[in-house]
Amino acid sequence: ENILGVAPKDEEYYKVLSSSGTIKCRDGSNSFTKAQLNDDFCDCTDGTDEPGTSACPSGKFYCRNAGHSPLSVFSSRVNDGICDCCDGSDEYDGKVKCTNTCWEAGKVARDRLRKKIATFREGLTIRKHEVEKAKLSAAKDEEELSRLKNEENILKGLVHQLKDRKEQIEKAEEKERIEKENEEKKKKEAEEAKLKEQKSEENVVEQESAGSKSDDEAGAHDHSPSDEEYYKVLSSSGTIKCRDGSNSFTKAQINDDFCDCTDGTDEPGTSACPFGKFYCRNSGHSPLSVFSSRVNDGICDCCDGSDEYEGKVKCTNTCWEAGKDLNKAHTDTEATVTHNDDERDASIDNIEEEHAEENDGPSKVAHEHDPKESSNAAHEHDHSHAPGSKEEDASEDADSLSREELGRVIGERWTGKKTEEQHEDAGTARHNDNGDDDNDDDNEYDDTSDNGHDEEYGGYDTETEEDHHKYEDDDHMNDVGDDHSSDSHKYESDDEIDMSDMESTSNPSWLEKIQQTVRKFLDAVNPFQTPVDTSESENVRKEYDDASGKLSKIQSRISSLTKKLGHDFGPEKEFYSLYGQCFEIKENKYVYKVCPFKEATQEEGHSRTRLGQWDKFDESHRVMVFSNGDKCWNGPQRSLTVRLRCGSKVELADIDEPSRCEYSALLTTPSLCQEGRLKELEDKLEAVNKDQPQGHDEL
Amino acid sequence: WKKEEFRNCNQTPFCKRARSRKPQHCNLIATDVTINDGDLVAKLITPNRFEQNPDQNSTDFQPNPLILSLSVYQDGILRFKIDEDPVYNPPKKRFQVPDVVVSEFESKKLWLQRYTKGVIDGESFFVYLFDGYEAVVRSDPFEVFVREQSSGKRVVSFNTHGLFDFEQLRVKKEGDEWEERFRTHTDSRPFGPQSISFDVSFYGADFVYGIPEHATSLVLKPTKGPGVEESEPYRLFNLDVFEYLHESPFGLYGSIPFMLSHGKSHGTSGFFWLNAAEMQIDVLGTGWDAESSIVLPSDQKRIDTLWMSEAGIVDAFFFIGPKPKDVVKQYASVTGTSAMPQLFATGYHQCRWNYRDEEDVKNVDSKFDEHDIPYDVLWLDIEHTDGKRYFTWDRALFPHPEEMQKDLFSRGRRMVTIVDPHIKRDDNYHIHKEASKNGYYVKDASGKDFDGWCWPGSSSYIDMVNPEIRSWWADKFAYSEYVGSTPSLYIWNDMNEPSVFNGPEVTMPRDALHYGKVEHRELHNAYGYYFHMATSEGLLKREGGKDRPFVLSRAFFPGTQRYGTVWTGDNIAEWEHLRVSVPMILTLGLTGITFSGADVGGFFGNPDTELLVRWYQVAAYLPFFRGHAHHDTKRREPWLFGERNTELMRDAIRVRYTYLPYFYTLFREANVTGVPVARPLWMEFPYVEATFNNDEAFMVGTGLLVQGVYAQRARDATVYLPSDHTWYDLRSGTAYKGGKTQKVEVTDADIPVFQRSGTIIPRKDRFRRSTVQMENDPYTLVIAVDGSGSAEGELYIDDGKSYEFKEGAYIHRRFIFSNGMLTSVNLAPSTSKFESDCTIERIILLGHTTKSKTARIEPSNQVTDIELGPLQIRSGVRSSVLTIRKPNVRVSDDWNIKLL
Repeated sequence: ENILGVAPKDEEYYKVLSSSGTIKCRDGSNSFTKAQLNDDFCDCTDGTDEPGTSACPSGKFYCRNAGHSPLSVFSSRVNDGICDCCDGSDEYDGKVKCTNTCWEAGKVARDRLRKKIATFREGLTIRKHEVEKAKLSAAKDEEELSRLKNEENILKGLVHQLKDRKEQIEKAEEKERIEKENEEKKKKEAEEAKLKEQKSEENVVEQESAGSKSDDEAGAHDHSPSDEEYYKVLSSSGTIKCRDGSNSFTKAQINDDFCDCTDGTDEPGTSACPFGKFYCRNSGHSPLSVFSSRVNDGICDCCDGSDEYEGKVKCTNTCWEAGKDLNKAHTDTEATVTHNDDERDASIDNIEEEHAEENDGPSKVAHEHDPKESSNAAHEHDHSHAPGSKEEDASEDADSLSREELGRVIGERWTGKKTEEQHEDAGTARHNDNGDDDNDDDNEYDDTSDNGHDEEYGGYDTETEEDHHKYEDDDHMNDVGDDHSSDSHKYESDDEIDMSDMESTSNPSWLEKIQQTVRKFLDAVNPFQTPVDTSESENVRKEYDDASGKLSKIQSRISSLTKKLGHDFGPEKEFYSLYGQCFEIKENKYVYKVCPFKEATQEEGHSRTRLGQWDKFDESHRVMVFSNGDKCWNGPQRSLTVRLRCGSKVELADIDEPSRCEYSALLTTPSLCQEGRLKELEDKLEAVNKDQPQGHDEL
Repeated sequence: WKKEEFRNCNQTPFCKRARSRKPQHCNLIATDVTINDGDLVAKLITPNRFEQNPDQNSTDFQPNPLILSLSVYQDGILRFKIDEDPVYNPPKKRFQVPDVVVSEFESKKLWLQRYTKGVIDGESFFVYLFDGYEAVVRSDPFEVFVREQSSGKRVVSFNTHGLFDFEQLRVKKEGDEWEERFRTHTDSRPFGPQSISFDVSFYGADFVYGIPEHATSLVLKPTKGPGVEESEPYRLFNLDVFEYLHESPFGLYGSIPFMLSHGKSHGTSGFFWLNAAEMQIDVLGTGWDAESSIVLPSDQKRIDTLWMSEAGIVDAFFFIGPKPKDVVKQYASVTGTSAMPQLFATGYHQCRWNYRDEEDVKNVDSKFDEHDIPYDVLWLDIEHTDGKRYFTWDRALFPHPEEMQKDLFSRGRRMVTIVDPHIKRDDNYHIHKEASKNGYYVKDASGKDFDGWCWPGSSSYIDMVNPEIRSWWADKFAYSEYVGSTPSLYIWNDMNEPSVFNGPEVTMPRDALHYGKVEHRELHNAYGYYFHMATSEGLLKREGGKDRPFVLSRAFFPGTQRYGTVWTGDNIAEWEHLRVSVPMILTLGLTGITFSGADVGGFFGNPDTELLVRWYQVAAYLPFFRGHAHHDTKRREPWLFGERNTELMRDAIRVRYTYLPYFYTLFREANVTGVPVARPLWMEFPYVEATFNNDEAFMVGTGLLVQGVYAQRARDATVYLPSDHTWYDLRSGTAYKGGKTQKVEVTDADIPVFQRSGTIIPRKDRFRRSTVQMENDPYTLVIAVDGSGSAEGELYIDDGKSYEFKEGAYIHRRFIFSNGMLTSVNLAPSTSKFESDCTIERIILLGHTTKSKTARIEPSNQVTDIELGPLQIRSGVRSSVLTIRKPNVRVSDDWNIKLL
């Protein structure tokens, strides 16, 4: 017969009693006789002898619950006046009467179980599909990444070549122009020129001491490293010719703030010559040549501030920060710099205004992104000198590369060999490379920083967002594919879109086209030929801008892909499709947004609180952890744990804040519909059905 | 803690003045001594021969005589009052605190017929006080003291050092500057200086104790005197102190101006000053009076104290002891014993600021069941209300409060909601509407309703000093008034110091006005007491006086024990705060409030897991056992720290539940006698000097010694086991010899707890969800026999909730074990109507050696087995102690069990 409170699987254990008379407690603490079994006195500390009473504190009581599923309750529930088992078997001392609710409850439970099983089945199918898809997607992403890396290398070479060629052309043009001017001048003022020359020589003597001083101060900075050779002759010969041959000057005349050479050769560090250029070293960023008109004009043009050495304004060195955002190849002309500086100031004002009027009307919503975008623009313009200025950087290296050598270099880049070394000596390219590295770091850093941080740095926004902005403006570049900007709507856009975009990028025709074009230029255009073919030079410029723009886009895509592929997507990559998606739930006045692998936020109107940044999976991929969110007032940094549960759809089902600033949410996803668990549920249902009393079969 | 927010003695003129007085400052003499209405009455006059201010107009500075009246009460209590004489028409009647001294006390008055006159250092008047003790009033210089009749040894004395000073009320004259300023606040002080100060000396005293509430050691350290680091006096001024320090004489939430002294030579005595104004008390270190010419008996170790109060009268009590329990009983006969709590209230309480909504409540409740952890009460803090309007619910979060309470109660659990005294000034709030219409608010100095800031913002405060208003307030707890309340809902009073966020020292201005033109300064320390009283009356009223109220209060005053429970306020999750909670609770017990506890885990901050577990282990043995936490802290319910720690906290809570029959019996003892549940060791061992300043360990009743563990990663504990008893370690059954310090091993599983030999402790070793389900469970008796093989103990049982015990409806047994026989003796009236079918399922014998294998039960004449069993039923524990198996005798019957 059944022993009260004993589960069928344990009945075997007690069988010995009928034969041997005594039996050991499971924990070995004692032994008991048949008379002591369920005699309401605890002989075994583990409750072995009292499965059916409350005598032992750590015991368990088994209710059969026919019609429902069996249950083991704590011995503390036996005869405590509360019906814990649906069959009421735990209350047998007659103090309360429990009605048997097993049938009804069982039906509900079985229905629920069936529903759950259905969900699991559906989810499992989706999951399998997702896993397949994820494998393909991941492979595609990997493939794309390696392809992009190759393309990047090729493109880098091409950009380099184009730049060199462009600079050569521009130099030639400049020379042509100056020669023209000079000829006219010579004709017109031949005699006056001689008088002038005598006068200026006197001036040099007068200003010698002052000149040497300024030489010490600015000399190291005011001509670019590649030009330094040119000036070296001075120390030996005493005088030197202007580059345009218009004149010659002595050491004392260098940077004496008087223009001796029409091309500015003698005044690389002052604003004296209208056609001169001032070279800023910009350590931490890339060097830059600015028009001499910018020197000591009260505006900080070089990020290291070296162009403003007079002391009228104090420039803070922004090279390090700005350097992070380098590689924004842009075609804006220098003429816009001042204008854009104004724009940046305006945008900073906007942000401050934004701060002051936080939680203002909804009209502000759109506005909120304004400052960032306009400041992005300003920011880009800020650094647009870099490529523009390169016209003065006459790199000899590129000239010396023969056509064959170029072919070999490109070939090596295709095969991915020796690329780094090949680039080592190309000065400007190296700077770009450094910029790239910074960029990658920056990307990660900024992605994990919060809004406040962005605002603190005024116009300097995350790289991704900036790129995003750029893509929208640039029709030509759709082929590089979407990025994962911090803009939530974009972020929501599925990887699928990326994939289709990538299909088009995978078509190498554009790259081949560029390559062909470059070859054509290299073949056709003779940089030393004057007059320069203006249409050809226009083409070179355009092609250079195109290519460098594409390069930066590829690099940003590489960095986002690398970042993506670095994530843990689960043992079967079952969470792959969640990348780039966000899920929302509205709870009272708040909208909660959970973006796996990225961040979680709580939004109320247009105020946004970051609950956490993506941290990791926990509990064998059953929990997502977002940590280091915005700091609570007088409290910890916010954090969110998202418990995952099997469901046929990915849905944020619940969100809660059990402790202040520690949030917890529930997300259903097919990724959690695992086969093993389904099997368990099916077995359970089968067991319950089997245990049904006759004539009650619902199936 | 923000020091600058609170006044120190130097910033408090009356304190500064009193503290700087020199001995023999007082020049009063007692004259016109007579017996009047059973009291000794005298005039205290300033004789002309003391003309201290010869160059001033003598009429200005010639104070009116004061009236002294002295009464004697049964069991060794002397009460004397000093007040202004109404015949001189003082500008105002000084405030005497009503409703504190219990009405029965007057019936204990001994009507004095006569005094004897004699000479001790001058003319003195003697009256009989108690068997062997007499009270003495010396005329010149004026002094009151108690002494042993035969030896002449003093016990306690008043104004021995002549520090008595009484600022009589005056009419303001031109040029009088009466205003006092503190920070941005101005106290108008319309009645000018009215402070009182005096010295009290305790003789034969090694230490003094009492005067809560301070977060300090049990023993009160000297605050003034040679070699004493300059210290503030102990302050008694009810304040809402944010993040209080754990070793400071600073006044906290409640005030009880009752001090006990204890020493080896006399024993114990006590002094109580019934006064509700701000008080400052100095414990004067030996030698403080070296420069004075006062000669006192040098063979008697003495502790002098200085008492200073801002207002009121002298209404003072001497308690002669001489045993510790005598003094607490004497004090209880004045202010009342503690109310008999409902059984559920002695279980474990789960609180947090805040359980957010019904789902949260359901969740927490079900987690207790899921982990098989018993608890009895779930608490809701301020956020459950609709905008901090008490008696309302935030219906978005708590749409179905009745159903929620009923659901909890279906598993035997109660709920507590918070009701604070600040009322939101909102014309749509019914409480505010009625209170403002009826003029039930405390008024500011200008006579308008006082308006201060608290949780709801702009608030006014109910004037609970008025009995009519208290009655109105009590009616608010009717189920029809407090919508959403059910009979299983009880109340928590917080912020009743009262806390006023924008007030001086975070409280109400002293010149605010109460009912009867009483200034707030005169009754400040009693405000929370009246609020607590009114709330308690409300709970009593709603069930027609049948259900014992449960009201937890933060502020307290003498008499609070009659109305409910207190806790030590907003402590911090630090080891030092766990440590100091023990002396704080013991001190409350000594001064009448035995049902008290500290927030388990510490209110502010996040305890590390070990601290939290230890806190549960210690608090399980303290009277009021509640986990609570600030809303900025992480959740810390017992199941959130991994399986092992869940188990440890469950064990700690379960231990508490196993001892509930013992606790309940002790609560009954406290209810009858005033002797606290948790006691300092010296209360049980008054002759063992080593116990006098021990506040790491404490006694639960006479039987259990609990040694707290207050340090991280403790591997052992040093325990002083007093007397020549044997002590049984309740973890292992190991016997330790008393009278010395033992080093015992400590694991994470529990703290060292010992049962004293000679005691019998009732337990219920079965576990249930709450006290409700334990009602019918059988008992276990643990007998620890002493050297002569005997032991005794008691068990008190009633219905756990009603007042029928007052009609004798209870079971009270005394168990006596001697000569191998256990006898159950009835202590209840034979007419007792209370029945219980509960039996005794197990009797454990510690320290008894016997070869007997059976025992015979009389009168049923049954024989039952004796075998080895576990001391505590924990899985895997080997049986090691003698156990009488299943005697199954009913607890309500007379029986005896003889070992064969």
